[in-house]
Amino acid sequence: MREYLPLLIVGAIIGVFTIIFVVAYLLMKNKKEAIGFDRHMPDGEIMKRLMKYATPYWKQFLVVLVLMLLSIAYDLISPMIIGNIEELVKAEFDLSLLYRMVIAYIAVLLVSMVCTYAQAIILQRTGQKILSALRQDLFTHIESLSHEQLNQIPVGKLVTRVTNDTNAISMMFTNILVTMVKNVFVIVGVLGAMLLLNYLLTLMVLCFVPFVILFTVIFRKFSRAVYRKVKDGTTDINTYLSENLSGIKITQIFNREEAKMNEFLEKSDRLRKAKQSQIFVNGVFRPMVYVLYISSVLCLLYLGAKSIIKNTTFMGQAITSGTIVTFYMYVSKFFNPIQTLAEQFNFLQSAFASAEKIFTVFDMQPEVVDEPDAIELDSIRGEIEFRNVWFCYNPDEWVLQDVSFHVLPRQTVAFVGSTGSGKSTILSLICRNYDIQKGQILIDGIDIKKIKIASLRRHFGQMLQDVFLFSGTIRSNIVLREESFTDEEVWDACKYVNADSFINKLEDGLNEVVRERGNNFSAGQRQLLSFARTILHKPAVMILDEATANIDTETELLIQDSLEKMKNIGTMLVVAHRLSTIQHADNIILLSHGRILEQGTHQELLHNKGAYHHLYTLQYNKQLLQAKN
Amino acid sequence: MIFGKHINRYYLKYAPWLLLGLITLAAVDYLQLVIPNLYQMVINGVNTGYVDVDGVRMVFDMDFLLDRICMPMIGIIMSLAFGRFLWRVCIFGSAVKVETDLRNRMFDHAKDLSRQYYQVNKVGNLMSLFTNDLDTVQECYGGGFLMFFDALLQGSMAIGKMWGMNPLMTILALIPMLLLLGVSAVIGKYMMKKWDIRQQAFSSLSDFSQESFSGIAVIKAFVKEGKELWAFKKLNRENEDANVDFTRASVLLRVLVSLFVESVICVILGYGGYLVHEGVFNAGQLMEFIGYFTATVWPIMAVSELIDMTSRGKASLKRISELLDARQDVVDRADVQPLAGVKGHIEFRDLTFRYPEGEYDALKNVSFTISAGENVGLVGKTGSGKTTLVDLILRTYNVPDGTIFIDGHDVNSVPIRDVREASAYVPQDNFLFSDTIARNIAFSCDEVDEQAVQNAAILADVDGNIQEFAEKYGTILGERGVTVSGGQKQRISIARALMKNAPILILDDSVSAVDTKTERSILRNLRQTRAGRTTILIAHRISTIEQMDKVIFIDDGRVVAVGAHNDLYATCEDYRRMVDLQKLEEEGGEHHNA
Repeated sequence: MREYLPLLIVGAIIGVFTIIFVVAYLLMKNKKEAIGFDRHMPDGEIMKRLMKYATPYWKQFLVVLVLMLLSIAYDLISPMIIGNIEELVKAEFDLSLLYRMVIAYIAVLLVSMVCTYAQAIILQRTGQKILSALRQDLFTHIESLSHEQLNQIPVGKLVTRVTNDTNAISMMFTNILVTMVKNVFVIVGVLGAMLLLNYLLTLMVLCFVPFVILFTVIFRKFSRAVYRKVKDGTTDINTYLSENLSGIKITQIFNREEAKMNEFLEKSDRLRKAKQSQIFVNGVFRPMVYVLYISSVLCLLYLGAKSIIKNTTFMGQAITSGTIVTFYMYVSKFFNPIQTLAEQFNFLQSAFASAEKIFTVFDMQPEVVDEPDAIELDSIRGEIEFRNVWFCYNPDEWVLQDVSFHVLPRQTVAFVGSTGSGKSTILSLICRNYDIQKGQILIDGIDIKKIKIASLRRHFGQMLQDVFLFSGTIRSNIVLREESFTDEEVWDACKYVNADSFINKLEDGLNEVVRERGNNFSAGQRQLLSFARTILHKPAVMILDEATANIDTETELLIQDSLEKMKNIGTMLVVAHRLSTIQHADNIILLSHGRILEQGTHQELLHNKGAYHHLYTLQYNKQLLQAKN
Repeated sequence: MIFGKHINRYYLKYAPWLLLGLITLAAVDYLQLVIPNLYQMVINGVNTGYVDVDGVRMVFDMDFLLDRICMPMIGIIMSLAFGRFLWRVCIFGSAVKVETDLRNRMFDHAKDLSRQYYQVNKVGNLMSLFTNDLDTVQECYGGGFLMFFDALLQGSMAIGKMWGMNPLMTILALIPMLLLLGVSAVIGKYMMKKWDIRQQAFSSLSDFSQESFSGIAVIKAFVKEGKELWAFKKLNRENEDANVDFTRASVLLRVLVSLFVESVICVILGYGGYLVHEGVFNAGQLMEFIGYFTATVWPIMAVSELIDMTSRGKASLKRISELLDARQDVVDRADVQPLAGVKGHIEFRDLTFRYPEGEYDALKNVSFTISAGENVGLVGKTGSGKTTLVDLILRTYNVPDGTIFIDGHDVNSVPIRDVREASAYVPQDNFLFSDTIARNIAFSCDEVDEQAVQNAAILADVDGNIQEFAEKYGTILGERGVTVSGGQKQRISIARALMKNAPILILDDSVSAVDTKTERSILRNLRQTRAGRTTILIAHRISTIEQMDKVIFIDDGRVVAVGAHNDLYATCEDYRRMVDLQKLEEEGGEHHNA
């Protein structure tokens, strides 16, 4: 009995802890796992789609696999060598034999390290290539989505898909998968090596495996629960802080500082408790894994020594001190991968979650696409016709109802009406940012659905109300990555639209830095830059959504003058807010609630004394008063 | 380990816990190092049948195995499990308490800082003090403390044991480790540089995508999708290279660490084996020595990590200290006299005010008087100084002596709390807390009186809207609750101010988002309930202030005219033009909406 005491005690300790943990595990309320994202795609499908990107690199992966196997050799062989050295030195021995073994050790070490290095680099390269391919596909796909589809997804989310989510996937290829495979090989390899050496001791080590797995599983559940508590507490306090620091003025003016302090203390304390329970959980479980490991060492020493003292063999295998030394090293090499394997599954899950988000974007089919028989247009005259066009963004909320008009080449048409009357919508329909539900839009007599979108848009110069400038330089914003334009051409365009005067005043001229969204330029300057951008690209039809923002008088005059000049280039469609723009149009279309109320020239419409007349007089008086100010 | 003005006190405050943790840590480190010795005894016993214990030769039999190896080891296992638990709780536990303490102090201090501080320090930056920096300091305090002592104790004990066994071999083992320390410092620096480049590449990719997706309309309009992809590819390529470069450095470091450590093992095996051959060592001691050496690896690696951690911790602590040391500049003077029973008489005497960091005077020679109980409208263009004016009444900034008087008292001579207690305020941005509507309206009270809350809501003409919510007054506003319209927000915010029933009510452009009908009814309610008490109303719409007792018209920081609406319209040309222009716009707007 006494002989087996150590085993019994170790068994009892582990048994007691196991019972406690299992009971605690069962008692824990099974809260729903909320990682913040419900997965719908089966793992198999995600894997299959990801593999499409990986298969071109099968050769690299093969090389990595071979290198990895070579590097594992070190884990398997080095304990053997040390065991053999131990065997050697325990009695009289030849020094040269010892040195030969040490050299063998060094050789194995070097080979393994070189392989580890090469493997990691090849894998990183490959993983990055896969990532790039995926990213580029994703970027191309997002660019091909229609305006409507893009409006539904916040830009931040799209950016996350292209950056962080793809990164998580590259982590999977460069790190997670390989580590998992490596761990499996190490476990199998060490197990094989141990079996080769001694069955009894291997059996003993294997007895600990279920407990390692069980403890790890239970620990994961607890640690996730406390982790969530900590995370919730942190989010709660951060939300509170961000709100209350923003609203501190109100708190101070209402003399509520003390009340707020008490609220904060309560939240702060809740977070402290959550963090302390996290420390407790870690404090209980982390040492337990060590306990398992060190217990197995104890069993190893006990069983090994006992069998030598008693001179027993198990299935014909005798134990020597070399066996004990080798096993001592194997045990630690065996436990580590089992533990990390569980962690790796976690990482894999989050990589899959990212992959699913990416594939969800891929699954959005672009709505506005070229028809198979769409034609390329080399040039257009600029004749535009709307035939009974009906359009809505949301089903049954018609934004345009039965709109028909005809614009001849080189004419200027002004669209007038209040916000929401549909005038901006008309402009985006001409560029085919959306597809209409009923009716027809014709360019030079051809249905726009029969024209390739790219070739259609190439002939149009769109100047949007809210001018978007990219960060870069003035030049880069005008040429828009078309580097073939010479500085002279760019300057000509700027002169044509009167943008040259303000650019000349800048220190760096065309190379002046444009900050994010162009916020270092005034609304008027941005407008002029967008004119220059358009003119440079030589459009046949110009589409302009006039800015409503306040523009200083000087720039206002420049804009009006350049608009006058631009009319000579081709057809011009303007959503107009300025009297002068409207007055000089060849045709004025007055819209209200998606229908055309009146159309005709300025004189005709004034003569009719209708809605246009009323609108005009109001505008006129306002400008008169403002001029006086 | 981290020291500094605001953190030193915590070492003293939690000294008992830290000391207990430290003692446990020392015990754990000591006990861990007993295991290689037991291991040695087993191997020698197995090899020779005898074991030398403290110079006494003992027979290695079952009794020895049980009593001298297994039982002590079971004891060690139990103590280690408990010890490791205990130091975690002691050291990490006090670190969490320090974090909580610091966080509370930071908020306590922040809540009393003036507008000026918040103008300079954006909320986003302040938030990162409470999150990232506090985390780092906490980690330095707990993790750094642990790492320092653990490395020191375990390292010195293990080296001591090695030295006791063989000084020369100890030196041979430690020289490569010192070299490793140098090499890892160099490669570590290189790695950090590569990491920065990697982060840089990643953030340019991120910025590029952000801009590209935001400006997609322009890209599509000019058919630049292909060009854009081309530029994206280039950035992608840069990312690839930066990642591979970083991996190169980090894998190199990892491989070198293994190489150095393992090469020391080779030295021990080679030289130690020679010693065994010479009879100085025995087989078991060789393994024991390796055991001790392995225990020195992490303390040595910890040195560079500790240095790195401390420098990060110091930077974070410095930022936190800046907040804790920030001067609370809008505070009561020592000799203030309590102000009670405020009537609401306000006087400005030749006040010229410039914001603390401002480049020009926001208010110039402002003088006017508001008699107690008057209804006053404040009009002027955006940026003319209206909000500044009321902000000064509420004492959110310091004003020169002898410029603002409430009930005849210089505001500098009375407690700020009393001035604010006497005023109710409806801010321009209508900031509401994400809390229930009832608690928002009753913000100024400690207890929520439901009847009073509803009365205030009725006066602000928002009761009807609130009744339509499923949770009525229990509806939670904001991010986690219901989003209400701008007009509803304004009216809830008006109700919050009315709830206070203060002698002075200030509304800063507070009815701009409600329609004219609602505005009229709110104004009517105001006139009735506020009769006899001072009300100051900033407005853009002339219709809002036409009926006021007095209109103060300011432009460019100066008071242009003061008087009743009709008088001003008749006498002040600028005022008249502004009124006319607005009338016209309203007519036009109504046509558009028709």
